[in-house]
Amino acid sequence: MVHLSRHVLQASLMLWGVSIFAFAIIHAMPADPVLITLVEMNIPVTPENEAVLRTEWGLDRPLIEQYGAWLWRFVGGDWGRSFRTDLPILSEFLQRLPYSATIGLGGLGIAAILALPLGFAAACRPGGTVDYLSRALSIGGQVIPAFWLGLVLLWLLAVELRLIRPFFGGAAEQLLLPTLLVGFYSIGSLGRVFRNELLAITVQPFFRTALAKGLTPETALRRHALRHALFGYVAALTPECAWVVGGTAIVEIVFAVPGISLFLVESIAARDYFVLQAYVMVVAVWMVLIHGLSLILRALLDPRTRR
Amino acid sequence: MKRQWAIIAGMALVFTACGLWQPYDAAAVDLMARHMPPSWDHPLGRDHLGRDVLSLLMLGAWHTTIVLVIVAGVSFTIGALVGTGAALAGGATETALLRTADLFIVMPQLVIALSLTSLFGLTPVTAGLALGIGGWGPYAILAHGLARRTMAQPFVLAAHALGVGRAGILSRHVLPNTLDTLLTYLASDAGRNVIAYASLAFIGLGADTSQPDWGALLFEYRKFIFDNAWLMLWPGLAILATTLVLHLALEPSMRFGSSVRS
Repeated sequence: MVHLSRHVLQASLMLWGVSIFAFAIIHAMPADPVLITLVEMNIPVTPENEAVLRTEWGLDRPLIEQYGAWLWRFVGGDWGRSFRTDLPILSEFLQRLPYSATIGLGGLGIAAILALPLGFAAACRPGGTVDYLSRALSIGGQVIPAFWLGLVLLWLLAVELRLIRPFFGGAAEQLLLPTLLVGFYSIGSLGRVFRNELLAITVQPFFRTALAKGLTPETALRRHALRHALFGYVAALTPECAWVVGGTAIVEIVFAVPGISLFLVESIAARDYFVLQAYVMVVAVWMVLIHGLSLILRALLDPRTRR
Repeated sequence: MKRQWAIIAGMALVFTACGLWQPYDAAAVDLMARHMPPSWDHPLGRDHLGRDVLSLLMLGAWHTTIVLVIVAGVSFTIGALVGTGAALAGGATETALLRTADLFIVMPQLVIALSLTSLFGLTPVTAGLALGIGGWGPYAILAHGLARRTMAQPFVLAAHALGVGRAGILSRHVLPNTLDTLLTYLASDAGRNVIAYASLAFIGLGADTSQPDWGALLFEYRKFIFDNAWLMLWPGLAILATTLVLHLALEPSMRFGSSVRS
């Protein structure tokens, strides 16, 4: 319990640090959102008009005051309005989050399930065909640029074979390819994790006994290694969820998925201060939550890590 | 070990040569020769402005090299300084430095880099700096762990007991024992940085679109997915070839046909 509260305290301190950094980096930007907005809305750039906007957005106050006011309202759920769309940022995020979560968590979920048979088959014959395949998938996930693979898949499936209409079909048709793409990028490494977890058990004396009894590797792995390996696999899976929010930015951009990362890129281009701040905070909070969750899960699954 | 560095040095040499010489002027526009398919004179064909694709990719290779060198320099320098410094300092300073490193791990590198490059414009130099600043966190954690482990060794304790100062322990014992692992990690990160830079150029915030970066070219060529899809194959293959060579050179344990780790 003491352990847990220390983690909570550390996490809060870290989030506070992130908030300062997010605020600082954004206010260092040389472009002035007031001027950009006035020009975009075809309002004459006069000192009076500038002053009105500046006062409305609170940009005329000292930085430290702006930071304090922003943080206070942010914690209270008022994330301010987007300069660009004039909508509350929180509702913009809530509207877009399902898209990002679908491709991120959906892709990871598909990969996490498919990685089990892949890892198992690879562990049955280390050095065999399936083992090579899983290795190739894992390397592929690290060396193939996601945006390029996405474009090639688009070309193959939508232009050449005309199997899908990613930009004109419904939401399901739109999200299918990006979800599968995210899945592709996780399945290799997850398969390797599960395979290594299984193989780590094969050196245990009880497993050698099982083999000595005359069990085939498949049966021995299924009966004596599967459960142990699953614990390690689940513990390794949780941190993977960390990059689901924020890590799929490039996929969102290639497939024009209206998720939070596309929102971020559009907002950075328009120097939309508060959106960037909110995005950095959302990602950081998610990371910290996942980190905490994986610690708790680890402690639940493996009593040895409870200290 | 030697083989890995030889491959990397060879690649650096080839990419530098690409920067010094291209078969054609990469910026030369010839609208009469738009979308010419690959031919003997132009092995990779010509793009929507009639530019020679091979020359553009070669310049892109040079830009990628600049980015990689700067990212490596920045993240290695900051990471090694902070991590080793934390291990040497100990106490509250150590905690503060490590938490700062954590901060940079929590914030996505791409978001930091996007913000910084949209701030300063996207050139190979700013992209390298931005990716380095966004990515030094893991190096600091690694350097700290390695330094701590080295400093707990008996020979370092003996040196300490003999009255060797901090600077001596650092230069004679800690650095020689940690540098190898750090450099290997640095090199194994290179492939990821190639993709990160291409992503930045693809997103293109603050980019000069006339610059032949692999990511920017891919962004341009993606528009011809319907009628000249072969065009967008090349920049992707260039990135893929680079990351694959780096990967296979640096992770021998992951190489095809190597012995199986359990």
